[in-house]
Amino acid sequence: MTIDQSPAWLALKRHADEVRDTHLKDMFAEDAHRFEKFSFSAAHCLADFAKQRITNDTLQQLIKLAEQQELPQKIEALFTGELVNTSENRPALHTALRQPKETPLILQGVDISEEIHSSLEQMEALVEQIHNGQWRGYDGSPIKTVVNIGVGGSDLGPLMTCRALNLFTTDEIRDIELHFVSSMDGSQLARLLNQIDPASTLFIVSSKSFSTIDTLANSNTAREWLVNASGLPVELISQHHFIGVTASPAKASEWGIPEKNQLHFWDWTGGRYSMWSAIGMAIALQTGNANFRRLLAGAHDMDTHFRSAPLTENLPVLLAMVGIWNINFLNIHAHAILPYDGRLQHLPAYLEQLEMESNGKSVTLKGEKLNYATCPILWGELGPNAQHAFYQLLHQGTESVMCDFIAPALRYQEHGDELKAQHQLALANCLAQSRLLALGDSVLEDAVNAPSHKRYRGNQPSTTIMIDELTPESFGALIAMYEHKVYVQSVIWEINPFDQWGVELGKQVATSLLDQLANPSAATTDSSTAGLIRFVQQQRQEDKS
Amino acid sequence: MKVKVYGADLTAWVAAASLAKAGNDVLIEGPETQLKKPLQDISALRDEPGLLDQIQLQMEVGRLKRTGAEECETDIHWLALEHNEFQGAQQIIRGLEQAVPQNLLIINQCNFGVGATEQLQSILNEDANQVVVYIPNNLQEGKALQGFSQPKRITIGSDNNWAITMTRSLIRPFLQNIEHLLLMSSREAEFTKLAITGMLAIRIGYINELANLADQMDVDIDTIREGMGADPRIGSHYLAPGCGFGGQNFNQNIARFSDIFEKRGQNSLLKTVISENETQKELLFKKLWQHYQCDLTNKTIAVWGASFKPGTASIDNAPSLKIIDALLAQGVTVKVHDPEALSNLQKYYTDEPSIHFCNNPYDAITAADALLVVTEWPEYWSPDYEKLLQEMRMPLIIDGRNIFDREALEMYGFTYIGVGR
Repeated sequence: MTIDQSPAWLALKRHADEVRDTHLKDMFAEDAHRFEKFSFSAAHCLADFAKQRITNDTLQQLIKLAEQQELPQKIEALFTGELVNTSENRPALHTALRQPKETPLILQGVDISEEIHSSLEQMEALVEQIHNGQWRGYDGSPIKTVVNIGVGGSDLGPLMTCRALNLFTTDEIRDIELHFVSSMDGSQLARLLNQIDPASTLFIVSSKSFSTIDTLANSNTAREWLVNASGLPVELISQHHFIGVTASPAKASEWGIPEKNQLHFWDWTGGRYSMWSAIGMAIALQTGNANFRRLLAGAHDMDTHFRSAPLTENLPVLLAMVGIWNINFLNIHAHAILPYDGRLQHLPAYLEQLEMESNGKSVTLKGEKLNYATCPILWGELGPNAQHAFYQLLHQGTESVMCDFIAPALRYQEHGDELKAQHQLALANCLAQSRLLALGDSVLEDAVNAPSHKRYRGNQPSTTIMIDELTPESFGALIAMYEHKVYVQSVIWEINPFDQWGVELGKQVATSLLDQLANPSAATTDSSTAGLIRFVQQQRQEDKS
Repeated sequence: MKVKVYGADLTAWVAAASLAKAGNDVLIEGPETQLKKPLQDISALRDEPGLLDQIQLQMEVGRLKRTGAEECETDIHWLALEHNEFQGAQQIIRGLEQAVPQNLLIINQCNFGVGATEQLQSILNEDANQVVVYIPNNLQEGKALQGFSQPKRITIGSDNNWAITMTRSLIRPFLQNIEHLLLMSSREAEFTKLAITGMLAIRIGYINELANLADQMDVDIDTIREGMGADPRIGSHYLAPGCGFGGQNFNQNIARFSDIFEKRGQNSLLKTVISENETQKELLFKKLWQHYQCDLTNKTIAVWGASFKPGTASIDNAPSLKIIDALLAQGVTVKVHDPEALSNLQKYYTDEPSIHFCNNPYDAITAADALLVVTEWPEYWSPDYEKLLQEMRMPLIIDGRNIFDREALEMYGFTYIGVGR
């Protein structure tokens, strides 16, 4: 029996038929206590589901669905290292990365907790060496600039977190100028190399496989730049200007990075779940080792909550199940991520990868094609800026969209009144938008008499997630909450969130097209691709002549 | 005359010893903690040549006494406090305002910054001849006693005729070699003091920058600076390139002057000079690093000179510290000699097994892969080259003060690396 034929699912379908036609404004009119009933908090985070199109019954039935899918057992399986990544036959142990050192976790007879912490400690030693000005470039200069080369999980997590926690630093830390380079076309790197000093620049090459073409292309360009600037042999440059963060030590060594400058993580850490490992070195460089540990501690708080709290008040579970309700029972297939704090600028891009690469699947764990919706299209932008961009569609377009509004309750506590007022302004806008999306123009008196193009239909569901303050702990908890939400949804949909076979074939096809671009006469592709290759070729010839 | 000197560091002790030597009855009031210490345990006294002897002599003849904060019948008070003790100075002056209702002369020698003397004066009643006069502290560590008793120039910062007359008579014994006795307002004198320090730093910073360029352009900075110094508009003072300047007063003053610029929203040339100087302090390490192709594994490096300049035991802000830090971070065995600063260095690097403190310069170079000359102590200028060649593992000399002759050293068979040549 597929899940969409299961009793809990069918019950929800029937329930949806009852609820579907009730407007959110009527739900609020009927019940003055929606906030008390539908908001939950744990580990620095509060999630308010009151503006979701749910009733008491909805939540109960959603929990029944989760129980039917044996969610509690599946959560335990995740934490204890069972092979939840079935297609690659391995566990997914990002939770172990933030577990305290004292808690052992035995995997195939090895205490991985010890390995994890020894890798972290090695990273911390390198970070300290760089902060002390004792990592030396080829002419003996201390490192002043660090460039993180990575893509996907090796880029988005560290980048997002460095921006989010840019105010967190400690006095002992020397200012390290930090850059992120990801794009395979080299455009970020080319611009950067003009601005920085080779002798005092260190590159962190982050790649789980150490064979990601995007990252290696950028690393090779960086190394060539250093060799040219220094006039020194390539081996020497590789030894003194590169740190490799990888799960494939042999490949990193082959590229030229000595073992002592390698930081390792493991095949059981998915790329998009890896910022808690040495992949997060950039975070430690910017905020200091202690703040990196605080980030891990915050995530661990959320892990503990997720593992131990009953489903009915379990934040990641509720976030996931409300999503299931919207996607599978209210047929909403677009999800907007809207942070109201400029420091969370890169959160949408991070969640786009986390959710869509994890749950953008259409085959079940048993290898069967499924016939219900899974991960929706997810996108986002800083809320205040998006108000001037795509909110028009949210308010008056034809698509139903579910939104996550995200904001800290407190900000600028140690600053002057002007900045505090700016935070109030952002909060007021955050609350106004979610209110308007839910209730439509019923918030006004006399709205019915307005012309049609000025009407707001409302009934767009949203969750508001508030953290107390943006700190390493609360941020760690927030991200861990989304990670677990993704896992819960995968359990309901019976899919594997930890593989990404859909990104593999493109790499292979690109490799074969690379040859054909170089030698167009040999092109054997469809007529469209062949035509485009011809166009590029023509442009090249004209450029030469 | 009866003079009371306030302060605990070198400036205060030099003033007290010199004023006593000139025949004054001098009391020196320091903090209680220092008062209990035997004189030889006060590092400021130990590090300055001749000072401890002079103090002991003046105490024996009874003209110099140590005291705590107690009342006394003195009309002349000499403030030589640290730059961050402005509140302490205010407190002293408030006490004196009551205790000495008229004809009270206070000499302020502290580097509190521009306008500080005026602020102190505002506590007092100038009409009753209660006056604060500013005399800039021109102390040069290593030559402090001579600098005090035979200055070439003295500035008196005051507008009050009674106070100027009194001050002149107090400093009269020290005016034999005087070339310039300048009178200006206290505010201008304070500004001038900082301006001079800044100018000197800029000169050193510039010649160092030129030396680094000369390194890459195949010219000898020694020739260049001779040419520059021959121009009377420039002169040859403070044009010796090297591996950075240090010392407590000099660095502090420049840093504070630079802060003043920054607070007024101006980009400071001095700020650049300070940060470039910090970089310059690592120059010898960098030259070594480059020579050994970025690999100092298992190397033993000799360091000659740890004090920030010859003639002092002080290692405050000394380039040697940055060089030794860098060497230790690379796992190098460091063998260091200094004629006076070793015990200070030993206190700075406690529990550091990779550093050896050598009482003899030739102990330091045994089996060394390089000799770094960091401070130009006179005894280093003409070493036993044969012995160096025999004892060193690699005959590599990196000369941070350009004290050696390149051609001669190369003739002996050394690899020589200087600064800017």
